[in-house]
Amino acid sequence: MSENLRPMGFWEKVSKLDRRWIYSAVAITVIIPLIWRIDFPVGITPEAKQLFDAVEALPDGSTVMLTFDYYASALPETEPASRAALHHLFRKNCKVVTMTTIPLGGPTISERVTRDMAKLYDKVYGIDYVNLGYKANYVAVLSGMGSSIEDIYPADNSGTKLADLPIIQNIKNYDDIDFIFVVADNAIVDYWISIVNAQYNTPVGASVTAVSAPKYYPLVTSGQMTGLLGGMKGAAEYEIMVGKEAAAVKGMSVQSLVHFLIILMVIMGNVGYFVSRKKKPQAA
Amino acid sequence: MSESLTLGSHLTIWIEAFVTLALFSFLYKDNPIYKFIEHVFAGLSAGYYAGLIGQSVIYPQLLDPLYSDFGGNWILLIPFGFGMMMLTRLTPIGPIPDLSWMSRWGLAITIGSTAGIFLISQLHGLVMPQTLDTFASFGRAGNTVEFAMAILTLVGVISTLVYFYFSKEHVGVIGRVAKVGIWFIMVAFGAQFGYTVMGRVSLLIGRMTFLIDKWIVGSMGSMFN
Repeated sequence: MSENLRPMGFWEKVSKLDRRWIYSAVAITVIIPLIWRIDFPVGITPEAKQLFDAVEALPDGSTVMLTFDYYASALPETEPASRAALHHLFRKNCKVVTMTTIPLGGPTISERVTRDMAKLYDKVYGIDYVNLGYKANYVAVLSGMGSSIEDIYPADNSGTKLADLPIIQNIKNYDDIDFIFVVADNAIVDYWISIVNAQYNTPVGASVTAVSAPKYYPLVTSGQMTGLLGGMKGAAEYEIMVGKEAAAVKGMSVQSLVHFLIILMVIMGNVGYFVSRKKKPQAA
Repeated sequence: MSESLTLGSHLTIWIEAFVTLALFSFLYKDNPIYKFIEHVFAGLSAGYYAGLIGQSVIYPQLLDPLYSDFGGNWILLIPFGFGMMMLTRLTPIGPIPDLSWMSRWGLAITIGSTAGIFLISQLHGLVMPQTLDTFASFGRAGNTVEFAMAILTLVGVISTLVYFYFSKEHVGVIGRVAKVGIWFIMVAFGAQFGYTVMGRVSLLIGRMTFLIDKWIVGSMGSMFN
């Protein structure tokens, strides 16, 4: 039988598997634990604990800036972190100033999430929290708020003059902000560190998407960043620490199963590749 | 999910579900429905962004100050002028001749100021502190393991930098150090890949949670019960 007509062995079939079978396997692995819940333990990393401890150490009534620097596409990783942070901040009666540097979705998400959470803790808009909304050119925004927040944001997200909001009377610039909690899906964290933390010494902690997390661990080690949450795992850790397990903890159980499947596929794919290569006849 | 969903909520959920499934259909193969949704997204984004800039920047930081106190805010006309010059890239249009050269003035100011701010902030805020911390980790080391980690970090930083040093051929000592650098880079890529997989799976979980909880159980469930 010629080489072309030789029937494929199991490992050759594996190495040539149509990618759509893999997509289907991943989809099924995600769907099943969402219907029949399976719980896996979620460990707390030192970086997440550091962030939680930093917020916990703030005196009650401190002013915290919480950013919604993410697009709607990153919601599963970032929104749970924002909600967990708001549980923590409102529980401590912190004054919360929210803002975003993301035009598409940022203002809407910050408005929806903050108002949802404020209802749970009976917080009043304009007194306990304010949503500054979006402003273009993040470099100018981050630098400018060091001099005057009101110059950058003359009005809040709804168009109300900042001067008319009681919460803003004592918040002029970064000197009046005790902590900045950045939730982001992009490199904006670089600028919160290099512009705001480095120049104004305001402590910055962040929750970032998994893709960008590895980049920021050295900033925690060097003390430039006060704690870090990486992706859905980080959000799940924060949910556990504040005692409000929700979407991220539920999602992490699914993650564990999918990771197991992917590891299995990586192993099978590699074995298939090496077996196929061994079987290939040597070129004359 | 409660049965108190309004008709508007049902409609929103069904549109969201349709769009999600339409985009997922690309995983099978490219198709017209996927293309349609892709174009709708691009159009919506552009329109929304234009409206948002008008509402959050042009009106509160240009038109409103000029209207309420022109004498005190006339200086805003200068950045406004440079901004308008950027639009000259669209020329020639009809009777308007080619004035696109004017856009370079606005761009020059934007690029110059951005480069100046970034150069200082990146050096002062990231490069210098990270360089210092590479050595400071030796001072912080409280036991043998931490000291070994500090050495590993230093070796990693130096060998990776040597790998990206292209002014000398990678042979001899430089070549061997660069090879060590490749190993560190590979480990970094591995960590990045692992995190990327987790990130992408998170997004899939988010969409599947929506489809199951809100669309099937919430909307369909309340319709058929």
